[in-house]
Formats: sequence, structure tokens, C-alpha cells
Amino acid sequence: MDCSYFCSRLNQFVDGELGYLEVAELQGHLSFCPDCAAELARISEVRAAMAAWGEAELAPPPGFAERVLARAALDPVPGSRRPFGRVVSDTLDQLDEALGRVPLPGGRTVPVKNVIGYGIAAAALAAELQRRRLRRLRELKSL
Amino acid sequence: MLPDPTPADLERATAGDVDAFRTIVERYQRMVYSVAYNVLGNQTDAEDAAQEAFLRCYRKLPQYRAEATFSTWLFRLALTASVDYRRREGRRPEPVEVPETAGDDPALGDGISSSTLVAALHDLPDDYRVPTVLRDIYGLPYQEIADLTARPLGTVKVMVHRGRASLRLRLQAEREA
Repeated sequence: MDCSYFCSRLNQFVDGELGYLEVAELQGHLSFCPDCAAELARISEVRAAMAAWGEAELAPPPGFAERVLARAALDPVPGSRRPFGRVVSDTLDQLDEALGRVPLPGGRTVPVKNVIGYGIAAAALAAELQRRRLRRLRELKSL
Repeated sequence: MLPDPTPADLERATAGDVDAFRTIVERYQRMVYSVAYNVLGNQTDAEDAAQEAFLRCYRKLPQYRAEATFSTWLFRLALTASVDYRRREGRRPEPVEVPETAGDDPALGDGISSSTLVAALHDLPDDYRVPTVLRDIYGLPYQEIADLTARPLGTVKVMVHRGRASLRLRLQAEREA
């Protein structure tokens, strides 16, 4: 096997996604391939730099907290009676959290509430088509 | 790690006590703004998204349950608000400007400065930058990144790998220059 096979696995290695045998195979290769070992060191260095940057707390622009509070002051008190739109939105959010997501082929996922919504829309469409078909039949009978 | 607000603080904020909510905003504003800046890559968008995150926090305070720590709960709100903001608004072209950090500049490694890393992240296409930031700065699992960004799992992995490769080349070029 050439280096491209092992190079393609370095990201999976640092992500901890390789199995025991694959790790052993890769480590065996790294022990005698300075190019792949250097590539692994560079990937690790970038990840370490990113993680260190994530620890830094950045200062928001001056007056940020005041602007947030001014916007929050325009909102109703959190526990108070909410407008109908907000009730619907919060209920959908809670449904989202409670029901989770459905996996689709190709690794995509879709919220369960969307699937329920599509189901309701499809049922409404089917009911409407059926209603029209029956009306049409009644009209034909009456002729 | 910042101490979480007490249940009494949260209760007062939920009841509409502005001072209690001010305490929460002042305590967590750096954390929320940092998340928004790292996901969005510029200060104007980061401020908008961070404000949005705090407003969501304010509105959802009655739903907060102490199953997760408050900071973890708020961190998730900040991430979601930032990713949603990017999906909704796209990205404004802005020159790279590194925000001030709270303490000393973090030690990022040999020859890598904050400004170099921020500039390299800034130059990544959004499709690569967001998943790479979520994975390598915040350590999110790939599946969670796929859910947040509404992309297939395999695509997310490829984007992170390409993002890392671009960053590596960019940082190497900076070092050699």
C-alpha cells in the first residue's frame, strides 16, 4: 500500500474513528514513513491551535450588553401570556426537542415534527382529492 | 469556568427582573460572542447573532431545566443561533479584524499567532469553515454538526477534512513567508 492510502486515514485517526486493527496498521506505517508522520504532526498542530483559540474569550463591542437588554425590554416577560405565533413556535421547538430527528438515506436527518407535518399535509390532500372524486361521481349519477 | 446563576437569579430573570437578566448577559457575553464570532467569522454578524442568542435565552428561560448546566444550555443556544443566522443571512464580506481577547493571547503553537489563525479561518469558504470550527474548536460530534447544519454526515466529514487541509497549507505558507 502506498502513502495515499494512509494519508487518507489520518483525519479519521485524529478523530478517533478508526478501529483497533486500522490504528495498528497506520501506526506501523507511521513508524517508518517520515512524510506521513510529518503530515499527522501538522494536522495535530492545526487542531491544537484551533482548540487553544476556542479557549480564548473575545470581547464583544462596547455597549453590547446594553443593546441586548434594550431589545429584551421590548419582549413580553418570559413567563407571561404569549402571542399566538410565539405559542406555536415554542410548541414546535418543544416538539423538536422531545421527538428528535429521523435519519434519512445518505446520512441526512429531518425533525420528526416535519415528518408529522408532511403526513398531515398528505392526509389533507388525499381527503380533498377523495371529496372531489365523490362529488364528481354524484354529479355523474345525477345526469 | 463561570459559576452558574443561582436558581433564585434565574427565577427573578424569568419573572422579568431586568437586573437579574443583566447579570446573566454581563457574565456570559464573552462566551456567547466568542461562539458567534468563531462560527460567523466577522464582528458585525457575530454581534447580531450573539444578541439573537441572548433573546432566545430570555424567551426560553421558563423552559430551562437544571439537567444541563446553565452555561452548557446557553452555549447550545449560541451555537444554534449562530448557525441559523448564517443560514438565514449568508455572510457579509468584511475585512479580517481580530477581536480583543479577555486575557493574554492564547498560545496557539510554534509560529501560529491569533491573527494568522483568524485570517486563515476567515479565508475558508463558509461551507468548510463552519463545520471545521464546530468540530475542531468546539469538539462537536460529526452527527451533531450534520444535524445543526442540515447536511449529510458524509459531506460534513469531507468538509472538515478539506477545511483542515486548507488551514494547514495556509499556516504553513505563513510560517515559510
